[in-house]
Amino acid sequence: MSDEETPMRYQEDGNVHMDFHGAVNTTINFIVARYGIEALHEIFRRVGTDVYQDLRRHLNAGDSHELVKHWRHFFTREGADYDISVGDDEIVLTVRRCAAWFHVQKIHGTVSAQFCDQTSIVNTALAEGTPFRIDTIIDGPGACRQVIRRRS
Amino acid sequence: MIPSDHFTRFYNEVFKFIEQQGERELDDYFLEISKNQENHILHLIREKGFEGMLQYWSVIRDEENCDLDLGYDEDKFEIKMHLCPSLTKAKDNDAERWERYCDHCAGWIGPIMDKTGYHLVYDVIDRDQPQCHMRVYKDEAKAREAEMDVRLLMGWPGRKQS
Repeated sequence: MSDEETPMRYQEDGNVHMDFHGAVNTTINFIVARYGIEALHEIFRRVGTDVYQDLRRHLNAGDSHELVKHWRHFFTREGADYDISVGDDEIVLTVRRCAAWFHVQKIHGTVSAQFCDQTSIVNTALAEGTPFRIDTIIDGPGACRQVIRRRS
Repeated sequence: MIPSDHFTRFYNEVFKFIEQQGERELDDYFLEISKNQENHILHLIREKGFEGMLQYWSVIRDEENCDLDLGYDEDKFEIKMHLCPSLTKAKDNDAERWERYCDHCAGWIGPIMDKTGYHLVYDVIDRDQPQCHMRVYKDEAKAREAEMDVRLLMGWPGRKQS
């Protein structure tokens, strides 16, 4: 079985319920208003370290490919406009239209200012203590780049 | 982006965090989620009653890949969940599951039924099994009677079970 065929730890298929992103947005606003941004970031950190233990195992073993596979699978499922370029020194996920961000805008009208923290904080937590770092650059509303590089 | 497929595992982390802040906080969070859900379901219930519930949960069944039966008669709307994908994912998780994960469903649905004048009877059956039985009655006496044959009756903010 090739690596592409090996199922990921969380390999969801079937239909997609995009309204969950609206509940994420509501949750972000609730947590920030009640407990502050640090509390929100702590929850996202736990998602990165505890929920995504398997992605971290791969990164710790020097393998960034599993994260790329994760990106491809889920950004495709959500209908995002994106591409991934794999270079010698870095891997860049460019999201031109984030399906989650635009879905929240459609159903709620406004998107939380901290909405993209889920991406940046989870990425930082995924890479923490591994040979990689993952930088998240927000390019605009619903657009970002996520860059995997080996730590020097 | 945390994929929508992984929302339940994020939700699970949120519940664990909020529970540490206190039971009242958890109720407030359920109410906030309930308010969010009003955007999707309130007009359907107000305009179409049981038919509106059927319409909403038919979409949920399909989009969330649920194995469930649903329908209604003169007295009640009913869902029999045979395999809940939400609890299944919360359990199929490298992070520890919040033991009361199932409580969130009645936690958001109950306040909406209270608001629209219906009476919810939510039998989770067993918090460790991805099955449950939800009934919504027009008549309160029938709802109270139905509560007699449940295995694990759920409460919600505004209606606590002992």
